[in-house]
Amino acid sequence: MAEFFINGFLVFLLAVIAIVAIQSIKVFSTVMLAGAYSLISAIIFVSLDAVDVAFTEAAVGAGLSTVLYIAAMKHLPKREKVVNDNTFFALVVCLVVGCLLVWASFDLPQIGDPMAPIHQHVGPYYITNTKTDMGIPNLVTGVLASYRGYDTLGETVVIFTAGLGVLLLLGDGRNNRDENE
Amino acid sequence: MIHGILGIWNYWIVIILMMTGLFIVISRHNLVKKMVGLTIFQTSVFLFYISLGKVQGGTAPILTGYKNTLYSNPLPHVLILTAIVVGVATTALGLALILRIKNEYGTIEENEIASFNTEENSK
Amino acid sequence: MIDFSVFQNSLPALQVVVPLLLAPVAVLVTIPFLSWLIALFGSIFCLYSSVSLFLLVSEFGKINYYMGGWLPPYGIEYIIDDASAFMIVLISLMGVFATVYAYQSFKSEINKKSQSKVYGMWLLALGGLLGLVTTGDAFNLFVFLEISSLSSVTLVALGSKNDKRALTAAFNYLLIGAVGATFYVIGVGLLYSITGTLNIADLTLKLSELTDNNSMKAGISFIIIGLMVKAAIFPLHIWLPSAYTFAPSAVAVLLTATATKAALYVLARILFTLLFNADEFTIIILQWVLLPASIVAIFFGTIRAVFEKNIRKLLAFSSLSQIGYITIGLTLGTASGVMASFIHIANHSMMKAALFMGVGAISIQLKKNIEVIDLQGLSRQMPITSSCITVVILSLLGIPLTIGFISKIYLLKAVFSHGNWPILFIIVLTSFLALGYAWKMIENIWMKEPVTTTINLKDDPKIYIPLIFLSIFNILFGIYAYPIVNAAFSASSAIFWKAV
Repeated sequence: MAEFFINGFLVFLLAVIAIVAIQSIKVFSTVMLAGAYSLISAIIFVSLDAVDVAFTEAAVGAGLSTVLYIAAMKHLPKREKVVNDNTFFALVVCLVVGCLLVWASFDLPQIGDPMAPIHQHVGPYYITNTKTDMGIPNLVTGVLASYRGYDTLGETVVIFTAGLGVLLLLGDGRNNRDENE
Repeated sequence: MIHGILGIWNYWIVIILMMTGLFIVISRHNLVKKMVGLTIFQTSVFLFYISLGKVQGGTAPILTGYKNTLYSNPLPHVLILTAIVVGVATTALGLALILRIKNEYGTIEENEIASFNTEENSK
Repeated sequence: MIDFSVFQNSLPALQVVVPLLLAPVAVLVTIPFLSWLIALFGSIFCLYSSVSLFLLVSEFGKINYYMGGWLPPYGIEYIIDDASAFMIVLISLMGVFATVYAYQSFKSEINKKSQSKVYGMWLLALGGLLGLVTTGDAFNLFVFLEISSLSSVTLVALGSKNDKRALTAAFNYLLIGAVGATFYVIGVGLLYSITGTLNIADLTLKLSELTDNNSMKAGISFIIIGLMVKAAIFPLHIWLPSAYTFAPSAVAVLLTATATKAALYVLARILFTLLFNADEFTIIILQWVLLPASIVAIFFGTIRAVFEKNIRKLLAFSSLSQIGYITIGLTLGTASGVMASFIHIANHSMMKAALFMGVGAISIQLKKNIEVIDLQGLSRQMPITSSCITVVILSLLGIPLTIGFISKIYLLKAVFSHGNWPILFIIVLTSFLALGYAWKMIENIWMKEPVTTTINLKDDPKIYIPLIFLSIFNILFGIYAYPIVNAAFSASSAIFWKAV
């Protein structure tokens, strides 16, 4: 029961952060709120047994990405000019998409139900075979690095692409300036 | 029925969080806030996946060595580990673009940029 | 000997992994010409492997390649069947042409220091698209979707040297693409939660056991919305016109010839494998969502193109309407409709790539985004480029003896046998409307005197060689249509008959 209330409180915090993020006209505080959002999500991940994900979310989502935002904010205006001409359209889109998802949720398995399809098919295979196939106790590592290792290769390529992209976009700008001087 | 609602109310909260993120992406004109909205949107989708993987009374998917331990499903965790990294990669590229836009246009407000662009178009 | 057979057996993986691994090499070389050679080698290797896979598949049937040797649904599976083989041959063939063309384009449109990195990015885009069409795993598809979008976004943004609007075009592409990809992930999550699997074949099997499930319908809808963004189907096309207009010339060629086509193929695959089990729902999606969207796209694209002054924007809007023709073929829900779509995917990719190459040849020399008036008197200055452009425009209009005619014939035949008269009428009507923008270009090229801005234009062999090849293809496959039609027939049966 205690767990239920703690989770409830954390989720409530997330909702508050998200709504404040809409309202705030200080871009810098929005950025910090995004970091807080990631960090609280990481805590929820721990309570949902996803320790590896919590670790990554705290390090990469709350840490690295906030660092990137702060580094960028150094060169960007700190305040937002509020124009509300898109609000109605955005509200309609979100309501439609949200209703579709709520409608879909009626046929979703209950959270934590051990009889849900995902705990019956594929998932159990990893739990029973990782030890014999890989000899390591961490199932997430086993799946990440071996069963679905190809996804991880793709993930690495994504990082390389983004890194190269940032280099091309920003490194390029500096080169321009050098040529002009 | 009450049990049914209790079992899926978590999804509804996650859905509300997702939609808040999407709302920021669509409604705000400031490009950095759009990226923040995208981050919130994606993080909420991660919450959805992770809550799928939870087993009642289960433990983290690291083998304990005891028999009859109930483990949560490792697969959603793996998918989200990949997705988190992809999300950060998108953020990094987006911020790099925003910095260049600030350099060239002097503003990062979408409506102001749009009016610059229409001027260019009509030239 | 034994090494070679290992190499042969690994081709399904190599055709994706080799360009991805060559990318860092191209970046590290730092000499633009060498990087270009590496990119060219990468794309030729892809062409070699995709053609040999195509031949293997057409002889021995479907190839399933298990990544790391883990059996599906536990591991990730690559599927090369007639349909994906068709797409990888198309993508890598257009990749080779675009790479040949890219050298001159990047040389004049991108700073010397960043050229090597651009070729790295180019290879990533190519490898990402090849992975996208061959993977048999729903989540792996997302990863490749992201590789190809992030690399295309960067490539589009590089057009900022000539025009700063490339940056906003790239940002919109990134943001809309990321939201689309997140929708795709939500959809995959919903389907995963009710089936427990991510392998598309296994997913199809599990979903066929479910009927009238909200999560399934919503999940498929989210996946389709996500893919519609990538395929630029109306009304989710908003990123496309400015991305095509402001990107460097070679990038516009690559994107138009491969990126949207790959997304369209994945959409077709999802529609006819996952969706076909949900009978009534299938009809709703096809008849009430995709069909109106394609009709509006055709009209909107054609009319905007007629009134557009900027040539590349004109071509982009024309692409929008041509994508509408491709999706109309899909909405018929018949094998001949899907076949018509495949024919048009291949043909449109050859036509638009050639047009963007021809237009790019001018903008490379003028160093700006060209408008219709910049075409004036082009036939005197650049006779070879002008002739090629003209041939391809005629093909776009669907004049007999060109591939455009073959596309139109098969599309009309499919619609005719479906008995849908209003659509038949719309296709014929819009084909005449397309004369509006096509004539505008032809008139300026052939019947006007050169103006001062265009007086110094010259034909450049390094640019027009791939253009000539593509123009010859436009006629060759218009006269001898058998290879494309036959391949499209096998491709459509691979997608369609497995589904029913």
